[in-house]
Amino acid sequence: MTFAERMLKIDRRIIFLVIGLCTLLPLLYPVGLPIKISPEVRGVYDYIESLPEGSVFLLSLDFDPASKPELHPQSISLLRHAFRKNLRVVAMTLWVSGTGMADQVVTQVAREMGKENGKDYVFLGWSPGGTAVIMNMGQDLYGAFPADYNGKPTKGLPVLQGIANLRDVNYAVSLGAGNPGVEAWYVFGKDKYKFELGGGCTGVMAPGLYPLLRSGQINGLIGGLRGAAEYETLIGQKGKAIAGMDAQSATHLAIIVLVILCNLFYFSLRRQSKQQGHSGL
Amino acid sequence: MPIETIIGAWVATGLTLFIFSFLYKDNPLFKLAENLYVGVSVGYTIVKTYDTVIVHLIWTPIVKNGEWALLIPVAIGMLMLTRYVPKAAWLSRYAFAFIVGVGSGLAIPRVISSYILKQIEDTVRPLLVMVPGEGLTFTWNLLNPASSLNTIIILIGVSSVLFYFFFSVEHTGPGKVVARTGILFLMIAFGAAFGYTVMARMSLLIGRLTDLIEFTDPSYGRPSLWLLGLTILTLVVMGRRGSSSTPEKE
Repeated sequence: MTFAERMLKIDRRIIFLVIGLCTLLPLLYPVGLPIKISPEVRGVYDYIESLPEGSVFLLSLDFDPASKPELHPQSISLLRHAFRKNLRVVAMTLWVSGTGMADQVVTQVAREMGKENGKDYVFLGWSPGGTAVIMNMGQDLYGAFPADYNGKPTKGLPVLQGIANLRDVNYAVSLGAGNPGVEAWYVFGKDKYKFELGGGCTGVMAPGLYPLLRSGQINGLIGGLRGAAEYETLIGQKGKAIAGMDAQSATHLAIIVLVILCNLFYFSLRRQSKQQGHSGL
Repeated sequence: MPIETIIGAWVATGLTLFIFSFLYKDNPLFKLAENLYVGVSVGYTIVKTYDTVIVHLIWTPIVKNGEWALLIPVAIGMLMLTRYVPKAAWLSRYAFAFIVGVGSGLAIPRVISSYILKQIEDTVRPLLVMVPGEGLTFTWNLLNPASSLNTIIILIGVSSVLFYFFFSVEHTGPGKVVARTGILFLMIAFGAAFGYTVMARMSLLIGRLTDLIEFTDPSYGRPSLWLLGLTILTLVVMGRRGSSSTPEKE
């Protein structure tokens, strides 16, 4: 068996180990590679930055713990930015399995920024219906969420003063890990009720959302852990996303090297078999 | 540190390591974690749905607030359950008809507007841009998504990919060139999607490893180290048992 043949039949657990080490070592010994800000992430940041104090910022945390590593840092950065700008934050989720986690992140960041529940922010929780909830909120916010996550009636909450439906929202961002998510918020929300919309998503979903970005259907997009790291850089607060960027770069480099090596071995093997075929004739 | 945080750290660490043990080979620890994940997810969803829908959106408004009109959607929903009674199963069709009718009516115009009309509008953009002071200009900047050059590239990409999926004409001669161009664009799209998928999967791994590193802290009782040792020991013991119970070849 030639070297190329042996390499192509290598135990896949060795590759797992290589990827594991490439991820673990930069996490233990960070290098601090520079992070360049993309225009799509800046789009979300700039819009929030341009909002005057007291504007209504709707954050829909449409994900569950399976997407936590990518979307949790995004939600923390967005909440920190919104609270720092003294926006009125209305948080919610369209994913029942993410309700507890969404409540935890909103409460944790609000406490860290010294914000008061009901006055500076509200977590509406989850309501059944997926896209129907968005349409319902477009008609009447209090019909879709008669009470917040803690059971307090939403009517009369100081944070919701002057808000009747989605038309009164100044900016909405959906952090989506699937459906319902960013697309649903555009199709059933922005397209009909005319509010500005930004998006955040997992890396898997990002290529599918770029057409919405180019056409102006969403004004910005935070894609995966990379997008979260860019947002953390923009607000100047280092978090888990920036910490993970060295590991991300190292694993990508390892994968590129593995792909190149595999191709080299494959082509050398093919050339050998061709040569053997010629000599056999 | 609160005791519930410490217990949470131990459970999270254990389940992460048990799931990762599958990378070595299938084993009972992985099965335990996998079944727990499915069970807990379903249990959580059922409880949250019951609490939100049955208690807060149906029971409380009707019984406490006297919102009797809510009985109409409740009745339509209950018709779904007649599927379980063969003689009355036909009643469920009314509920399905209502859902399909309302759902289609609401979704079709919105989807056509968002995905077809808006996207066509964006695909067919003017090639020349009016720049104040310069008049009509052709912009060559590849990095600007709205440049004239990118408009041409998108137009070629959309047309060639659509032609590739048009099977009523044989892809020969000039048609072959167009179809091949379509394949090229598809390959680039698949490559970009795969690249992002790799990035997403690596992000998940980074997320778990970040937590495992955090849980090596003495304030948690170092669950990462203890449970890593336990997982490796279990795999070694099971590996030895497996090899000793394998009958030798004669």
